[in-house]
Amino acid sequence: MFRLHDVSYAHGGNAGVAALSHISLDVPQGEFRWLLGPSGAGKSSLLSILSLEVQASAGMVEILGVPVMQARRSSLARLRRRIGTVWQDFRLLPDLSVFDNVALPLRLQHRAEDEIAHEVHAIMKWVGLENRLDARPLQLSGGEQQRVAIARAVIYRPALLLADEPTNALDERQAGRLMAMFHRLAELGTTIVVATHNDAIVEKYPAPAIELAHGHMVRDYR
Amino acid sequence: MARRRYHDGLALHQALPGQFLPFLVAAMSFLAALALAGGIAAHGLSQRWTHGAGAVTTVQVPGPDDPAAGTGTRIAAVQDILAHAPGIITAHRLSDAELRSLLAPWIEQTGDASLPLPAVIEVHTTAGQDPMPPLLPRLEAIAPGVMVEHDSVWSDRLAALAASLQACALLSVMIVMTVAVCVVMAATRAGLQTRRQAIALIHSLGAMDSYISGRFASRVGLLALVGGLGGSLAALPMLLAMSHLAAPFAAVTDAQATAPMDWRDPAAWADIVPHALLWMLLALPPAAGMTGWVTTQLTVRAWLRRLP
Repeated sequence: MFRLHDVSYAHGGNAGVAALSHISLDVPQGEFRWLLGPSGAGKSSLLSILSLEVQASAGMVEILGVPVMQARRSSLARLRRRIGTVWQDFRLLPDLSVFDNVALPLRLQHRAEDEIAHEVHAIMKWVGLENRLDARPLQLSGGEQQRVAIARAVIYRPALLLADEPTNALDERQAGRLMAMFHRLAELGTTIVVATHNDAIVEKYPAPAIELAHGHMVRDYR
Repeated sequence: MARRRYHDGLALHQALPGQFLPFLVAAMSFLAALALAGGIAAHGLSQRWTHGAGAVTTVQVPGPDDPAAGTGTRIAAVQDILAHAPGIITAHRLSDAELRSLLAPWIEQTGDASLPLPAVIEVHTTAGQDPMPPLLPRLEAIAPGVMVEHDSVWSDRLAALAASLQACALLSVMIVMTVAVCVVMAATRAGLQTRRQAIALIHSLGAMDSYISGRFASRVGLLALVGGLGGSLAALPMLLAMSHLAAPFAAVTDAQATAPMDWRDPAAWADIVPHALLWMLLALPPAAGMTGWVTTQLTVRAWLRRLP
């Protein structure tokens, strides 16, 4: 779960362009939230704060019980291991195979190679890419790359899962499977925030939503 | 399932190629070895000139064959005291021929070969000790008029010169080390820049700063160790040749200085290089590796601070 209180964020420091203003949120464990709003509303900035990619300029951020603004670097590194992120641009490493890209979070946790291989095969079977383990990301289609990115984000069963437009490059059937998996993970206790401006999928999979516009929170549906 | 190779995305073989850095570190190590060798040689000569084999004290005994205050001749009594005094390695009485050879210019000027000459004893003392002042009253008592001369003017000047050379060598080593540190920093920063996206990704996946800096430092430390080894090996033949040329200046006796070297004898090779120099050559590669490791650790950790 996470809590934000009066959080603001400006690109380029306090004197920069305001991306978020006075956001307060409280999302409990095991909850699913849509993060809605048009382009430039601040969805990606909010996800960046939650994924610890950037620090809020002001306010209080508490993620999985850790007060982020006061935490030491080593505590933040440990916290990142409990957060899974599916970025809009996938962020796959082009010189690593699909297997190695997906195995990366587990290797950083120093898991045994046998265990890693087992986990990677299982998750890649689930995303339907078990035959592309040795391919390089650039040899895959956009949809396949997105599935690899999703596999990497969920392979270590994060306590908080953040996804920025995760269904963009997926067809309807794959998007449906992904949403089913997200709901299953939420039932198992993972807090999930999915940013999208795909109204169709939001209508098809109704869930509580946070809506942003021009960096302000306009609604927090429960 | 086939076992796969460990990949964490840092691709350090691309970030820090194995040719450039070892070559530069080898060059730095080579220069450091030469500078250190100069420092060690200067230290050795300084020791020799101020305390060691080069520091000769002369004892002049007038009327050497006259009876001493106790029993026997004056020269025998003086030699007996010197032979049993602590801190004296050798006390060699110059023979008549040696003495006349030494005084030839003056004897030729006077043209009188029958001048009464004092006995002269060349005393070599243990390094760092000057045993003569406490002996002087005893020598005076048995051989009045005895003179002890330790010409320290030249040895002091030479010692000052040696100290300057040592300081220059130390300065050279520090400059070489500074350049080496800068080279390692530049190479590390270039490597970080090359792999910045991968580093940002694994940082966001929860990699500790210590993990990333440790991976870079291990790679650079290994490359610097290899470079240091290359530099030491490259310096060895040159230092052997220089040590061989310098051997006569470091010899304790004339016989040692003029003795030809048996090139087939490994022990002779080991003997011509001062032991301190051999230890220095052995220590250089680990020192280079450690310098590379520490510099990289600090550089990477400073660079990672830009990430949240």
